[in-house]
Amino acid sequence: MPAPSLLFGLLCSVCFTLATWLQPWHQSWAGSRAQSGSLLNVVMGDSRQLLANHFLVKADVYFHSGYYPSIFDQVTRGAPHMATAKDDHDGKEDHDHEANEESGFLQPPRDWIDRFSRHFYPSRHTHLEKPGEAREILPWLRIAADLDPHNVGTYSVAAYWLRQHLNKVDEAEQFLREGWRANPDSYEILFELGRVFDENRNDPERARNVWELGLRKWHEQSARHARQDNFVLEQTLTQLARLEEREGNLPKAVSYLEELKTVSPLPDTIQLQINELKQKAAPPSAVKGPKSP
Amino acid sequence: MNNALAIASVVVKELYRRKDFYVLFVLTALITLLMGSLNFFNDDKIVRYLKEICLLLIWISALTIAVGTTARQIPAERENRTIFPLLAKPISRGQLVAGKFLGCWLACGLVLIVFYLFFGVISASREHQWAAASYFQALWLHWWMLAVVVAMALLGSVVFAAPSSNATICLVVILGILLMGRHLNQVALQLAEPMNTVVYAIYFALPHLELFDVRDLVVHNWDPINWLVCGGATLYAAAYAVFFLFATWLVFRRQPLA
Amino acid sequence: MKPILKIQDLVVEYRTHEFGQKVKLAVNRLSLEVFPGEIFGFLGPNGAGKTTTMNVLLGFVPASRGAAYIFNVNVREPIARQRIGYLPELTYYYKFLTAEELLRFYARIFRIPAAEADRRIDEVLKLVELDAVRKRPIKTYSKGMQQRVGLAQALINNPDLLILDEPTSGLDPIGRMKVRQIIQRLKSQGKTVFFSSHELGEVETVCDRVAILHQGELRAMGRVSDLEEKYKCNLEQAFLKVVGYEPGL
Ligand SMILES: Nc1ncnc2c1ncn2[C@@H]1O[C@H](COP(=O)(O)OP(=O)(O)O)[C@@H](O)[C@H]1O
Ligand SMILES: [Mg+2]
Repeated sequence: MPAPSLLFGLLCSVCFTLATWLQPWHQSWAGSRAQSGSLLNVVMGDSRQLLANHFLVKADVYFHSGYYPSIFDQVTRGAPHMATAKDDHDGKEDHDHEANEESGFLQPPRDWIDRFSRHFYPSRHTHLEKPGEAREILPWLRIAADLDPHNVGTYSVAAYWLRQHLNKVDEAEQFLREGWRANPDSYEILFELGRVFDENRNDPERARNVWELGLRKWHEQSARHARQDNFVLEQTLTQLARLEEREGNLPKAVSYLEELKTVSPLPDTIQLQINELKQKAAPPSAVKGPKSP
Repeated sequence: MNNALAIASVVVKELYRRKDFYVLFVLTALITLLMGSLNFFNDDKIVRYLKEICLLLIWISALTIAVGTTARQIPAERENRTIFPLLAKPISRGQLVAGKFLGCWLACGLVLIVFYLFFGVISASREHQWAAASYFQALWLHWWMLAVVVAMALLGSVVFAAPSSNATICLVVILGILLMGRHLNQVALQLAEPMNTVVYAIYFALPHLELFDVRDLVVHNWDPINWLVCGGATLYAAAYAVFFLFATWLVFRRQPLA
Repeated sequence: MKPILKIQDLVVEYRTHEFGQKVKLAVNRLSLEVFPGEIFGFLGPNGAGKTTTMNVLLGFVPASRGAAYIFNVNVREPIARQRIGYLPELTYYYKFLTAEELLRFYARIFRIPAAEADRRIDEVLKLVELDAVRKRPIKTYSKGMQQRVGLAQALINNPDLLILDEPTSGLDPIGRMKVRQIIQRLKSQGKTVFFSSHELGEVETVCDRVAILHQGELRAMGRVSDLEEKYKCNLEQAFLKVVGYEPGL
């Protein structure tokens, strides 16, 4: 009977799986410790979430064609230096730490074994750039979303790649709707959904609806919690302002920009844009103009 | 050599008359096909996740077969007392060790060929390309890694009494090397002096089996490795396999059988 | 005449692991010689050291002191085993092979050319009456059939010296008779047979000479008729006397 070997097989897979979990465990531990402060909570907590996080990292590994630091490299470098996929949802190309990355996590070889071993694993920094290659990261995002449907970042990242690089607008919209169903209050997903309508469907009406809904959600939540993620708010306001400008509702556009100015790190630039818009709006409403300042 | 080959042929016969291999192969094939039938965003060209899963299963199966088969060889001969009529023939114990090694290793080679053919078919069906050189290198390096594994398990089987404890110890050591081997030098750097030297010594002494794991290169379609480097790795594995076999012979040579 | 098998002052100690370095003396200063063409019975009660002695002859266990020679070659050399056939007590063979495959495997180790091996295999399978089941895996054989496989493999190289460890143990009366017949046929072919037993009846009928071993020491050796004369009784009673068992007590 093959029972003993099956047992070995099982043992093997358990070990392998454990090992592959080590990495996300390390990361999520470091990550959520900051949030919850309780190690026990993390260890005992939702293992699905840990797994989901692992697959998100996997997606990032695939994006780099397997060139990725192990936990040991991270220990030597002090901290994980590569953004996980969810951090850079506005396009992988503009990593914050691009410069850091280009130098690579790999230090010069320490000994001959180290030098020799670099022939046997990806040791050069690359991204999936050939047309369509980005599809390879999708399975991991899909699985991550199945495991942890409340991580909205997963949906944003997947939608970005589906829309921008793989020409799969339907799938992007469907996936975002799925995420919206799981996270009805997520302004992040509403923002992405709005971009699908605005940029790909050419449907400003619906884009405006979801963005406005997103804005409301943001305000509701910021009223409840003290601190909020301003990034999505800025993005939504910018997009709404642009949309209204295109649609000719200049006052509305201005009002969005005014709100944007209060949260933007670059209020002066926004003010310039406001001024520009006001000038465009000036001729039809010349009477009101002088009164406004 | 004749005697070693005779023993090897019996080992190979045993492998294909037992069910283990078929079970593992069918399991691997089933899981791979199942994963391949999943639909991700209506994109039927996605292949790398499938390659990765298939290769992972192949590695698990091959390690299981290699360690399981080898660990049981000599203990089973002793337990079933088949070693007595065998060694009553004009055959030396060294030839017995060599034969068992060759048999297990060749059997692993056959197993790998079947597995990698399956892998090739799976990936070609999606990618419409056949990176023959890379696949061959992966198979070749994998096979040579198994030479070290088989020799190690053989040594374990004459040192430890029970085959199951030997198999467990071997698997733990091998998995430890596969997961940690590459990073031991970094670990050493973090340690204070006496341990630093110890860990560094271990780092240099142990067989770096993880070298032979080129799955990432295959999965992500990297170029084939330089053939000279491949040859170097082969020599590296051969050296360790010979070392372990020699140690096995030293232990087994004067071991009383009764 | 030169002896075909020679044991000189053989001492075998087993290290028993239970109490540290305590040793168990299994064979103590045993010397004997077996000459070509003889059937030599190696007798002794259970635990006398018969199997241990044979283990030394085949190189499974090292001698603590003394030496043993087969065809004038020290038994430590593998080549000493080219012309002997050995039947262990209680053995199993590779269960997943058929009898024919098993014999072909052993023939290959003896470097018997293929054509001759085929002939030998036919011959020994007929001799042990396993011809009909030669293509069945050994795991489907009964105990008696397995014992006969053992005999067949001991004969595959047409050996000049046969070492049989309790060849009839565990066989039914018909099986024993057949083994006896085979031994006698081998004698008629001029082979030498060295076999251990504690079944005195069969020994009496086939052996030229016997040695009686007790607690690792040689107690008596000689022709069956000489022993009977010396102790003035039949072999069974002589055996009991030699090993110190008094029926009256
Ligand atoms: N491997 C062993 N370790 C320790 N003692 C042993 C071993 N094998 C046999 N003995 C002991 O040696 C003695 C002789 O055994 P053996 O040669 O098997 O007797 P027999 O004459 O029945 O074949 C016995 O007392 C037995 O207990
Ligand atoms: Mg015995």
